[in-house]
Amino acid sequence: MSDPVQQVREEFGTWMKENLVGEFACLKWRGTFGDDEAYPELRKKWEQKLGEDGWVGVGWPEQYGGRGYSLPQLVAFNEEYARYGGPGRSGHIGETLFAPTLIAFGSGAQKERFLPGIRNGTEYWCQGYSEPNAGSDLSNIKTKARVDGDEWVLDGQKIWTSLAVDADWAFVIARAEPGSVGRQGLVFLLIPLDQPGIEIRPITQITGGSEFNELFFTEARTHKDNILGDVGDGWKIAMALLGFERGASTLGQQMIFANEVNEIIKLAKENGKARDPIIRQRIAKAYAGLKIMRFSALRMLSTAESGEMSAEAYISKIYWASWHRDLGELAMDVMGSDAEVMANGEFNALQKMFLFSRADTIYAGTNQIQRNIISERALGMPKEPRGTKS
Amino acid sequence: MAYPFTEDHDMIREAVRAFAQDWYDGGKGSEKVFKSGTGFDLNAWQSLSQELGMAGIAVDEEYGGAGLGDLGRVVVMEELGASLCSVPFLMSGGIATDLLQSFGTDAAKAMYLPRVAAGKITPAYVEGVDGITLDKGQLSGKITHIAFGNAASHFILSFEMEGEIALGMVMAANPNITVSTETTMDPTRSLSSVEISNLSLDDVKVIGTTDRAHLQTIVDRSFITLAAECVGGAQACLDMTLEYTGQREQFDRPIASFQAIKHRCADMFIAIEAARSAVLNAAVAEENEKTDAALIAKATATEAFFKVAGDAIQLHGGIGFTWEYPLHFFFKRARANKSIFGTPEDAYDRIASGLFGDAA
Ligand SMILES: Cc1cc2nc3c(=O)[nH]c(=O)nc-3n(C[C@H](O)[C@H](O)[C@H](O)COP(=O)(O)OP(=O)(O)OC[C@H]3O[C@@H](n4cnc5c(N)ncnc54)[C@H](O)[C@@H]3O)c2cc1C
Repeated sequence: MSDPVQQVREEFGTWMKENLVGEFACLKWRGTFGDDEAYPELRKKWEQKLGEDGWVGVGWPEQYGGRGYSLPQLVAFNEEYARYGGPGRSGHIGETLFAPTLIAFGSGAQKERFLPGIRNGTEYWCQGYSEPNAGSDLSNIKTKARVDGDEWVLDGQKIWTSLAVDADWAFVIARAEPGSVGRQGLVFLLIPLDQPGIEIRPITQITGGSEFNELFFTEARTHKDNILGDVGDGWKIAMALLGFERGASTLGQQMIFANEVNEIIKLAKENGKARDPIIRQRIAKAYAGLKIMRFSALRMLSTAESGEMSAEAYISKIYWASWHRDLGELAMDVMGSDAEVMANGEFNALQKMFLFSRADTIYAGTNQIQRNIISERALGMPKEPRGTKS
Repeated sequence: MAYPFTEDHDMIREAVRAFAQDWYDGGKGSEKVFKSGTGFDLNAWQSLSQELGMAGIAVDEEYGGAGLGDLGRVVVMEELGASLCSVPFLMSGGIATDLLQSFGTDAAKAMYLPRVAAGKITPAYVEGVDGITLDKGQLSGKITHIAFGNAASHFILSFEMEGEIALGMVMAANPNITVSTETTMDPTRSLSSVEISNLSLDDVKVIGTTDRAHLQTIVDRSFITLAAECVGGAQACLDMTLEYTGQREQFDRPIASFQAIKHRCADMFIAIEAARSAVLNAAVAEENEKTDAALIAKATATEAFFKVAGDAIQLHGGIGFTWEYPLHFFFKRARANKSIFGTPEDAYDRIASGLFGDAA
């Protein structure tokens, strides 16, 4: 067994088969889109289980406790995870967004301090970017940061912060140079959430759950050393982090999508919608979309290391988001009038997916922002004019 | 060089692009073909097949081809599509090559493949499984809408024989075969009816036999070539649109600065890149996924081309609606590609049958 990719498949596949059992068996396929609030404690325990056997951060270099997996190995890892119905990862913000950023921009001491908590499943992270007046226009953030002795002090508000209730730390962009505007004068700070200066208020979502929250900072404090890069580097680091949102994990996400498509096919067979020619066309199209996403991801990953955004990388977000939103609509149309009914008083997985997928076209850059990015950066069309207020 | 291409592919792309741009000359090539009334360009085909050796791109090396398979063909066809070249590559380098390589006996391969690869013969496929009958050693039937039928030197006929499907090669110039060029909306790719009356089996060289299902599979897979043409054509439409909207001004600014135009272009780009992925996926797919992948490529790419060509006309305004501006040729080719070898709906229907394990 010399093929390193095959080796990952066999070793990790076996591990999944042997470990996603017993008390963890109920987690299969849970905790994904729209289901983030399922079994929060047990999923953290699962994260620790993964960590114990070295399955968190497999893409990080070995010196930081990772396995140094190559991209094809990462793809295999994510696919095996999803193949066995691995639950939504409580630690994904830390593992796939924050850690790569920390590895790229952090000091040795910072890496030593923060990577083990992520790897062991003992410290959880959330992303404090958006504010009430800084959504698509992220550079409009107003949260203020100033140094007081050997601490940073923060005042302001974040919003739509996913999973903050379950997190221990937030990475936050804030304005450190008074009077600065736009991308200048920003800092990228790491803030412990359990402190008097921070109030977290859950926001109830379209699903009835509250996966995201408001974060209020009133003289919230963090040690002076908890800054990545320097004052003024905040924008650059914040954007680099968003770059890590694309990547190998999309392959795992696609296995979950594939599972959803299979569920829809199964249901259509059961309830007779499989005989509806229009539904058949839509299901075939959804299936075609899955194959297209998979191949686009392979194209994207093959060029990812060059650092240049390839054509297909630009379409990735808007393509999967729109596809998934359409899949939600398809799922409801296949359910037919049953789609209206909450059996046992709860949404089933397809209903949750339908509702939550409305967010897919909003977070991580709305579809409109994606089109702006594509037209300006991939196609070289003129940039949107800014207003004159700021 | 981006995945899944190699240096060989890049070299071929450059060669075909240079040829195609030269031939096409900003739309003049299509206009010439239109004026000729033939729906194909013999000189261009001779140059592409005989001088550049492109007809044999997918023919195995042992038969004098380049052995570059579907992926090589995708490269060629994208470039031909981008300039809307009126050459019967789709038929000869595409499906005829596939039929010979999949079903041909060793003798048939040795006899025909080297000549296909060298551009000495140009076979077109005539699907006669349901339309050509064999009676007392004679074949008869009329099949319509054969792409590049009037450009073919030979036809590969499929017909039922002794409970099997036989594939027979026959010279197009046979007195028992009448080829009539149809008048088509897309004037740059001919369609012909092929009427066969009492054609003696003695004139037909049976190259191999198969069954309906396997034949269908190979025909389906050859759609990858058509899908690649769509990607190339769509990309050309987007390129023209970007150039035009970048220089055309209204309200004292380039129309490309209007968000409605930017977003439409972004959508065109998304459709093209998705189709490109579908086509490349099909080109490199493993045996067990190939047919599905080819159907997906065909449906996705033909729809993308049509959408993009239509959008391109819209974003050009009045000039996009003129005959003089070449967009209409692309639009018409895109329309035609949606129904040649079945529609996108047909393809999705077949995919659905696979998913549901039934037949609609
Ligand atoms: C489920 C969910 C989870 C999230 N999790 C997090 C998180 O963990 N951390 C975090 O920081 N943020 C998070 N977000 C916030 C998310 O990033 C923002 O919602 C998003 O960036 C859009 O900002 P906004 O909501 O302020 O909308 P706006 O920016 O106000 O947009 C409103 C509408 O205007 C359109 N629009 C805006 N600007 C333009 C333009 N230039 N051209 C054309 N149209 C435009 C948008 O496309 C949208 O349709 C989350 C959001 C959701 C829905």
